[in-house]
Amino acid sequence: MTLTAFIVFTLAAIGTYAIRLSGIVLLGGDRELPPRVSKALALVAPAAMAAIVANSLFLDAGEWRAFGAWHIAAIVAVAVALWKRSMGWTLSLGALAFAALLLAGL
Amino acid sequence: MTSPARPARWGVGPQQRADFWTGARAIAPLMPGSVVFGMAFGALIQVVGLAGWLAPYASSTVTAGASQIAIVEALRQGAPAIIAIVTALVINARLALYSAALAPIFAPFPLRWRLALAYLMTDQSAAVSSMEAERWPDPVRRRWFILGVSGPFVLVWILGTAAGVILGPVIPESWQIGFIVPLMFIAVMVPGLRTWPAVTAAGVSVAVVLLLKDLPYGLNVLAGALTGITLGSFVPDRKGNRPGEIPPEAAPEAHDP
Repeated sequence: MTLTAFIVFTLAAIGTYAIRLSGIVLLGGDRELPPRVSKALALVAPAAMAAIVANSLFLDAGEWRAFGAWHIAAIVAVAVALWKRSMGWTLSLGALAFAALLLAGL
Repeated sequence: MTSPARPARWGVGPQQRADFWTGARAIAPLMPGSVVFGMAFGALIQVVGLAGWLAPYASSTVTAGASQIAIVEALRQGAPAIIAIVTALVINARLALYSAALAPIFAPFPLRWRLALAYLMTDQSAAVSSMEAERWPDPVRRRWFILGVSGPFVLVWILGTAAGVILGPVIPESWQIGFIVPLMFIAVMVPGLRTWPAVTAAGVSVAVVLLLKDLPYGLNVLAGALTGITLGSFVPDRKGNRPGEIPPEAAPEAHDP
């Protein structure tokens, strides 16, 4: 699996570098992306990150995760994120809530 | 703001050094998040049972945390290599947007600078660079500033990853460090959810991931992301963001090196 992972990381790195270069090389500064394309690209981050959150929070190796500390701490984190609009606060209070829930035996 | 008369090939003048450090200071507040995220990725590599050196290798070549975690998760579920790669590239497609936004800022730089700065591009450095660039009309000073924004940030990301590999085995399993994955992405994504298209993309994505949970190889993640992007782009912008613009209020919070 280590060899496979090495190859996957290497090819993903090459592809990602090509993506990083795309605008800098192709646009050269005087042309802009079509609005439709830039709008879709702007949605990649929320869509991809929400997918990872859903997969890692609600599922555990493809099965539903039993309700507990994970879900409650995630609710705390989302609430803090909406309230403070800050990554630092969300991380610290979310981790704190999770630790407290684990200590409480959930 | 004048450029130095003779840019020495290896010698870095005091002006360039100062501009570099100005850039590094501009992004410094975002560094702790990058270190913690890097540590989480390093620990994850250990938990999954991959060789530890792969973590700093991935962080210094792919240099995009969300996609690196997605690759590990896909491989853990026995996905074929091609699915892991495609998933990563879909997640990283957002970098094309930054690349387009930075194109006019990088345009006067020599080719080797453009190639190097593109390599060091992250969500955070792209956001800081594009917001601060207009204060650096001189291209030589600007490129040193952007190098300072980009380089040290990637460096602490790689160091954080290595630290995670070393500390990973020491962390007891009862701490359930895996929670850092959803927590990290909630912290990155939710503060930036300010437009209806973005909220739609995230909501649809979650629903599809859960509805298709029985798809093999983690394909539900790929399907969720693609469906979210597609449906979200049909939702009209109420705020009328200019296309190609990195939303200034959202982007600096995005902590995905």
